[in-house]
Amino acid sequence: MADMSDNLKPKDHFPEQQGEKKQKKSKLTLAKQKKPKSPKKKWLTDEGKWGLFMISPYLIQFIVFIAFTLIASLYFSFSRYDMLNAPQWIGLDNYDKLINDPVFWKSLWNTLYFTILFVPTQTILALILAAALNQSLKGLKLYRMAHFIPVISSWTVVLYVADAIFNPRFGLANDLLLKLGMEPQQWLNDEALVIPVLVTVAVWKGIGYMMIIFLAGLQNVPEDLYEAADIEGAGVLQKFRHVTVPLISGTTFLVLVLSTITTFQAFEQIYVMTGNSGDITAAGGPNNASMVLMLYLFQQGFAFLKMGYASAIAWVLFLILFAITLVQVKLQNKWVHYEK
Amino acid sequence: MAGKWLKISVLIMAFVFILTGCSDESGGEAGANSDQTEITLGFYSSGSADEKMNELIEKFEAEHPDIKVNTQNAPYQQFFQKLDTQIAGGTAPDVWLSDGVFVQKYAERGAAKDLTEWINEDLNKDEYYGLDFNKDSDGKYWGVPQGIQIGALFYNKDMFDQAGVDYPDENWTWEDLKEAGAKLTMDTEGKKADDASFKPDSVKQYGLTFFNITEGWMPVMKSYGGGVLGEDLRNSIVDSEENKEAVNYIVDGMERGIFTDPSDLQAFQSPMSPFPSETAAMRIGIYARTLAANETGVNYDVTVLPKGPDGERFSPTIANSWVISDSASDEKAKAAWEWVKYWVQEDEVQKEWAALGEAVPVKKSVANSDLFLGSGDKPANKQAFLDSFEHAGTLDVNAVWSEWVKKFGDNINRAFLNETSVEEALENADEEVQKVLDEFYENQ
Repeated sequence: MADMSDNLKPKDHFPEQQGEKKQKKSKLTLAKQKKPKSPKKKWLTDEGKWGLFMISPYLIQFIVFIAFTLIASLYFSFSRYDMLNAPQWIGLDNYDKLINDPVFWKSLWNTLYFTILFVPTQTILALILAAALNQSLKGLKLYRMAHFIPVISSWTVVLYVADAIFNPRFGLANDLLLKLGMEPQQWLNDEALVIPVLVTVAVWKGIGYMMIIFLAGLQNVPEDLYEAADIEGAGVLQKFRHVTVPLISGTTFLVLVLSTITTFQAFEQIYVMTGNSGDITAAGGPNNASMVLMLYLFQQGFAFLKMGYASAIAWVLFLILFAITLVQVKLQNKWVHYEK
Repeated sequence: MAGKWLKISVLIMAFVFILTGCSDESGGEAGANSDQTEITLGFYSSGSADEKMNELIEKFEAEHPDIKVNTQNAPYQQFFQKLDTQIAGGTAPDVWLSDGVFVQKYAERGAAKDLTEWINEDLNKDEYYGLDFNKDSDGKYWGVPQGIQIGALFYNKDMFDQAGVDYPDENWTWEDLKEAGAKLTMDTEGKKADDASFKPDSVKQYGLTFFNITEGWMPVMKSYGGGVLGEDLRNSIVDSEENKEAVNYIVDGMERGIFTDPSDLQAFQSPMSPFPSETAAMRIGIYARTLAANETGVNYDVTVLPKGPDGERFSPTIANSWVISDSASDEKAKAAWEWVKYWVQEDEVQKEWAALGEAVPVKKSVANSDLFLGSGDKPANKQAFLDSFEHAGTLDVNAVWSEWVKKFGDNINRAFLNETSVEEALENADEEVQKVLDEFYENQ
């Protein structure tokens, strides 16, 4: 579909069409052809200008609301800025403070820890779930819907579900542990357990979305490849390993990048689940064990009015994300296959 | 060619102006008469109170035909987030209701107007509670209380009766409270805290619910002679013998299961729940806590908070206040001041607001009247709140209050959970609180 003209390759048989095409081409490359005539170097063609004009609503929105704020936040990161008064340039002080701030390092580690637990768990489980729900089952839509419901539920609702399980006094998890003769746990109030519990809940909430993406990927795998594999005598697992996994690697890559970004931006969940009564300064506990970068940034900026420092955190977060995404893009050559 | 390009850029510019122009339009003078002063008043929502607030504003407008009030309100968290950005953008309301603990945050950063002169001129200070709670160390006033929150000891009469323990009174010390609390604490098997086989890990009913600064460590520490900040509010006095004694008292209560520790509270929907849900026999509570207790129908009363070992007593106080924006024009500031005066001076306003039961009225004559004391709602002994003013004090509120409270809380909670010794917790807290203070005040 992508290129009709390729299908018409025996050009000589279609002289008329070829002529039309040529005409079109000449229009499109008008500027190119004119180029030798004017020695002045033009950075924009007429059409380029019109193009620019057409995209100007988006471009202006980008310049005013994104580029400008980005540059402003970069400037703030080099200033002392309490929002209520004009920013004062202080050079690298914020970054210097950042390096010596144990809570920053702790939240960076927590963020990475959250990501390391969350991304593979969610990706693998979502893939298995998608593969399972890619069969012809009775009530298939119902199953798919059931897994998608948490995705569209708000974190406040999820909090109540999670609390029914992980509440140290009344929760199901502790009931189960007691029945098995094990010690009850403090879950969200235990420094060692708080992130694993948060990850569990996040996977439960997010898995439906990634499952849908995987399902779309799975349905694009051509049936004939499976048939070929059947003829070769491949088993279910072999087919999955050697046909499905390579063919959906593009989807997997997308899921990985998306989930990594989501975890680095995790905020609402931790704010809702670890704070009390919406008090932002109380979130991230116990003892900062669930303090992640976004939460720390928000707290510093909006609760303590240290917008300069918060901006510095934001830029560090951006650089880390950028680096990770670069690595992911570089690595994709090694394992991601796009069907030609 | 160049002409075309120019046209395009003009078009783009026009588009930008349209976009940016839109946002400025809304604050215009539409709807106001030319001889009217229009002011914006911001307040955070608190349930049924919104309606009453709007009603009072309408009455104010009727009495002051030359002033038109536009209101802005939002739930608590959003209100203050929005307010900060509004101040940053120069679009703050001319007068707003500030949580008492945030008044200095705005004052010391130059966002609030100095009201000293007007207060001296127009208000008889003896007639009102809490004016001094917004006074800084230089004697300047930055806000006028809208309603007062003051701490008292709440106790569940049914639980006391059941355990056969005498009700608390003004002679109680914190040690008395713990002793009574032990008899009121029960584990899941019905064993009391003094029982040898009592399990402090599975408490069903606590003696005292204990939470955070206002309704937790601050009143205890202060009545033991300690505290967090020195008088100038710029130096930490955390690492003291008095504080050690106070914190040891608390940690012991938590270890024995008599007081809720931070992880116990995790089991509740809100850290405020144990008392109204009758899981705790006592609480340190500000006046607003009567609402939840009345809602669930607890049979309770209040008395003044217990004394420290040397007979000192401390009632934590928060004076939620009207603050006038420093960037309001003279005309608007004066109109806003009319509103503030109307609020505190008019008996009618004070009475109507008091009837909501959210706060102790600012005007002493109204607070001491039957309307407040004999309203028929629980608690019967509302007089205890008024008596508490005798030893009332603020929560060492300054510009970086939220930040040092977090640092102190994080450290002290580790001691409460037995993750560190009391000495170490106080040492670390002292250092970290001082760092927060220095960082702000050294750059002022």
